[in-house]
Amino acid sequence: MAKLHISSTPHIHQKGSFTGKIMLDVAIALLPATVVGILFFGLTALWVVLTCVISAVLAEVIFNLCVGKKQTVGDFSAVVTGLLLGLNLSINVPLWQCVIGSVFAIVVVKGFFGGLGKNIVNPAIAARVFMLLTFGSVGAVVTIAPVLDLGFLGQAVAAPELIAGATPLAALNQGAGAEGTLSVLQLLVGAHGGTIGETCGIALLLGYVYLVARKVIKWYVPAAFVATVFACFYLLDGFNATYALQHVLAGGVLLGAIFMATDYVTTPNTPWGRVIFCVGAGLLTFAIRKFGSFPEGVSIAILTMNLLTPFISTWTKKKTLGGIK
Amino acid sequence: MRKDISSLHVPHNKNTAACEPQRIAIPAEVILPMNMHSGHDAEPIVNVGDYVKVGQLIAREEGRFSSPVHATVSGTVAEIATMPTANGKGTTFIRIESDGKMEVSETVKKPEITDCASFLQAVRDGGIVGLGGAAFPTWAKFNEATNPDYKVDTVLINAAECEPYITSDHRMMLAHPDWIADGIEYLRTYMGDYLGNATFKICVETNKADAIEILEKTFADKPYVVIHKLKTIYPQGAKQVMLYNATGRVAVAGRRFPSFGALIINVSSLALMANYLNTGMPLVERIVTVDGPAVAQPMNLIAPIGTRISELLKITGLKAEPGKVVVGGPMNGTAIYSVDDPMVKVSNAVLVFDEKTAKLCEPSACINCGRCVEKCPVRIDVAEVDRALKIKNEDARAQALIDTGVRQCVDCACCSYVCPASRPLLQINWEAKAFLKKYAAEQREKKEANING
Repeated sequence: MAKLHISSTPHIHQKGSFTGKIMLDVAIALLPATVVGILFFGLTALWVVLTCVISAVLAEVIFNLCVGKKQTVGDFSAVVTGLLLGLNLSINVPLWQCVIGSVFAIVVVKGFFGGLGKNIVNPAIAARVFMLLTFGSVGAVVTIAPVLDLGFLGQAVAAPELIAGATPLAALNQGAGAEGTLSVLQLLVGAHGGTIGETCGIALLLGYVYLVARKVIKWYVPAAFVATVFACFYLLDGFNATYALQHVLAGGVLLGAIFMATDYVTTPNTPWGRVIFCVGAGLLTFAIRKFGSFPEGVSIAILTMNLLTPFISTWTKKKTLGGIK
Repeated sequence: MRKDISSLHVPHNKNTAACEPQRIAIPAEVILPMNMHSGHDAEPIVNVGDYVKVGQLIAREEGRFSSPVHATVSGTVAEIATMPTANGKGTTFIRIESDGKMEVSETVKKPEITDCASFLQAVRDGGIVGLGGAAFPTWAKFNEATNPDYKVDTVLINAAECEPYITSDHRMMLAHPDWIADGIEYLRTYMGDYLGNATFKICVETNKADAIEILEKTFADKPYVVIHKLKTIYPQGAKQVMLYNATGRVAVAGRRFPSFGALIINVSSLALMANYLNTGMPLVERIVTVDGPAVAQPMNLIAPIGTRISELLKITGLKAEPGKVVVGGPMNGTAIYSVDDPMVKVSNAVLVFDEKTAKLCEPSACINCGRCVEKCPVRIDVAEVDRALKIKNEDARAQALIDTGVRQCVDCACCSYVCPASRPLLQINWEAKAFLKKYAAEQREKKEANING
């Protein structure tokens, strides 16, 4: 008889509970938004996303080789980081900038801090903000209308070719009912300017449903974020439900709430901590959009809350049953 | 309503729930280790060449919380030597070559019991230990309850059997509800001063509907016996979890269990104790579930204690080369080195995994998902324990570890089971608890030295 395996308890493991599978689930949940982004923005969108993913994975491989660490590409976290970064950029970002952004995310934000699980801020968001500050135009600032003809939805999508124009968020920031604002339905479909992955509310919600069903995220975490943004714009900016809903759907609120405010590593690990994180991020988003100099505030809001994560975690930790603390 | 603190769904795999236990043919030999209980090893009182009969005392208890060992077959003592054990200490064993007659010893007769003291002595002589896994001598557990400081008002009879695969307690309840009833009556009669007014709660998980039905019928006219149905959610059978889920009381680490007003005993221990008190036949055989992905025909077997596991596997057959053999449940059992090892008093199951299911993943980096805390019955943050363990200064480390509440860990292994990074989290808690134990002992010594000096 062959030698028997010896190990300590337990001898079984939860089916499907592996880091790689979780990351793969996140990537799968991002697929609808990616596909829709490519449909709306054309092949350039595909090149942007692909460049980000491939350079993120390569950066991870090379970094691990350089510092002599075990290869960790198998956990798919670099794929998710690359994909998230790509979806957070608009198609007018040059590909070489995409490469620099991805390398920054993987090497500086993640690798230098000790790899997966040790980074204190979300790599994709940090890279996006880095690109915004370094290269100026990255995100939703410069906008391009989609190539797909969805004329039946009315303005801003009538022409099949690329046209420059204000993002719905920039229009919204002029106030409720300003020129160029899109209806809630138009925002849900997402055939308008913005970053590749943020425009289509329906695609993002599909990803949300998938992640909740796969038990990767808790339903109330993104909901807390979205509800806070909605409540702020509703209560503090004119009691206009349509306007508040437009703010939720325009820009990166859904993408951030579903995919980045739920990142395990950089958010608190307690249920209440996660809610507080999202409420904080929602408040900051409102504050930046309303009073800040950027039209978009989700990235900075999440980044700020990332830094507060250890405090929130400790603060919301429940007492061990029967323990002293 | 109070929320249960157990929250993990594990696949039940109770493939043998409908398998009537079958008595195996008399094995050619049995191996009886001297450490089949939690305390000190027992001391052999027979010599090589002696003829022994079933139920005959062959090793007496030696030291605290020890328990005697009885011959489980009739035959000749062929060998007394030492064998390695899972904890690395090693133990003496007695090998008896069976003569195939199963002749019963003259010493096997109904013990005379008149009062609490003689009752405890009888339970002690019968070699009855906690069969749920801890193997704590049952008499000692009862003895604790006689402490006047403790007011025991609830006796929890642990029939949860929350681990996957195992059905030996389940089959015991189906086969011998009368023994369970007798056991309860013995306790009420001879420990009446302490347990006379206590409620006996038989705690069964709802996946054993037939057992619940039989028990409810058996105890229909006994108002002091309650069949307490537990949700089928791991780890209902851990004593601290059962105490909370059944009574709402919180077991605080470092205090004896009866101080929470409850006594807890495994259902098979209680039944086999009653059988001993009825007949005088000590703990010489038990039901063992043989199952697992590599077992051809999962079965429940009745086998003499000390039967080699390979003998059991011959009966059930294997459909794949064994990769890992576990004695006990998959969450808490012990992986053994060789199938020639014997089954012991607490061996409620033998699980054979094939090469594929035997291998678990390599641990990777913690991604802070919080699933370990979420599934922990007492909400220990293992990552915090891990950080505290790395503190250099021993005093600071001890304080930090106590602050994490790690002493409340119930050893259920839920944290390791759910960890997406396959990290050995339970072992981190074990390391922490071992350190705290050592540290506390050192502090006591220091204090005593100060007083004496």
